Amino acid sequence: MPVEDKSKSLLPFLSSPKLLPDESEAEFQSSLQSLLSELDNPSALAVALVSQLNECLWWIRRHTVDKELLLHEAMARLLTKAGSNWMGSGNSELSVALEHYLNGSAQKDQAALIEEALIDANLTLSDLRAKAFKDAARHIKLVDDLIHRQHQTIRHLQRSIDSIDYKSRLIKRMDLELAALESKQSAKGVLSLDDKPS
Amino acid sequence: MTISHRRSLANQSNALQSTGPRSLAGKRASSQNSRKHGLNSAPDFESSSEYRALVDLIAEEGFSGFACADIASGLLNYRRVMDAYYDTYTSPEPVDEFLRDANMKASNPIFRELLIPSGSEPADVREMAAFFTSMQRLERRKGGPVPRRSSDTHKLIRYQRNGIARLSRAIRQG
Repeated sequence: MPVEDKSKSLLPFLSSPKLLPDESEAEFQSSLQSLLSELDNPSALAVALVSQLNECLWWIRRHTVDKELLLHEAMARLLTKAGSNWMGSGNSELSVALEHYLNGSAQKDQAALIEEALIDANLTLSDLRAKAFKDAARHIKLVDDLIHRQHQTIRHLQRSIDSIDYKSRLIKRMDLELAALESKQSAKGVLSLDDKPS
Repeated sequence: MTISHRRSLANQSNALQSTGPRSLAGKRASSQNSRKHGLNSAPDFESSSEYRALVDLIAEEGFSGFACADIASGLLNYRRVMDAYYDTYTSPEPVDEFLRDANMKASNPIFRELLIPSGSEPADVREMAAFFTSMQRLERRKGGPVPRRSSDTHKLIRYQRNGIARLSRAIRQG
């Protein structure tokens, strides 16, 4: 059975991904297929483990994005605290504007809002980023822990996949040796029958 | 419909006088209030159809009966943890924007107006204002949705560690 079919034939709870609303399933599946194509001996269990491994990689991506979002949120918080609009425009509005501003996709009013807030706070963008990093350090460390955990899980999964691969190779080798022994034995049997005096 | 500052403060101070649920159904429902993810309860995988299907699938790969059972329950347990991980990540504790952004100094006259007519002393008003200030500090400390989901998901790290170790051990010993 080809690898693609094997991954589809697995139980739905093992093969169907749980994605966030803004994530693409096609991208998830293509990343899974590229991992599956590297399997030498794609058994059902190995495919199940590779699906879990792909999910871990996906979690690392999500947590990495979260790290950047944490920084943006802290930057927005610092700007609102320092500025005169603490009660006016909310933290979330400033956070979204800041995200667009940093991506270079901010509209005119968003860019104006950020520049005005920076002047109000008497900070440059790099100063603000450094301050925000210090401010959000506790939460960034939590996200780093989450990423580290996913790396550890990937290591466990890789070892398990290697173990399955080794086990199947061993079984194949033993089968071959057994077949060789049996053929030798039967050849000896034929020879000994031939040697018998008539 | 947006709720007024005065109405929200009145609701929150009234809720503090509640003595909890009285009916059996209410008590049963509130007994589950502290349940977060259910990962501490003992799972019963053996009676599920998924478990049997998984055991059959693993058995085709030459594992012994005991190893198949171990691997299947390890895999189901790991999936249970990761499903809880996803649910925790996607539904963090909501941000109480009203409490976070409220101007507590401006709220003191409202507390006085709400509590004094019902016979409360000025000390009670101060106590109530101090309570809401500490709640606000806590709310601000928790941060926005991203820090909340990170810290909620962080609590599941040990379950993921145990889950993957159990699965990996079952496969390597099988």
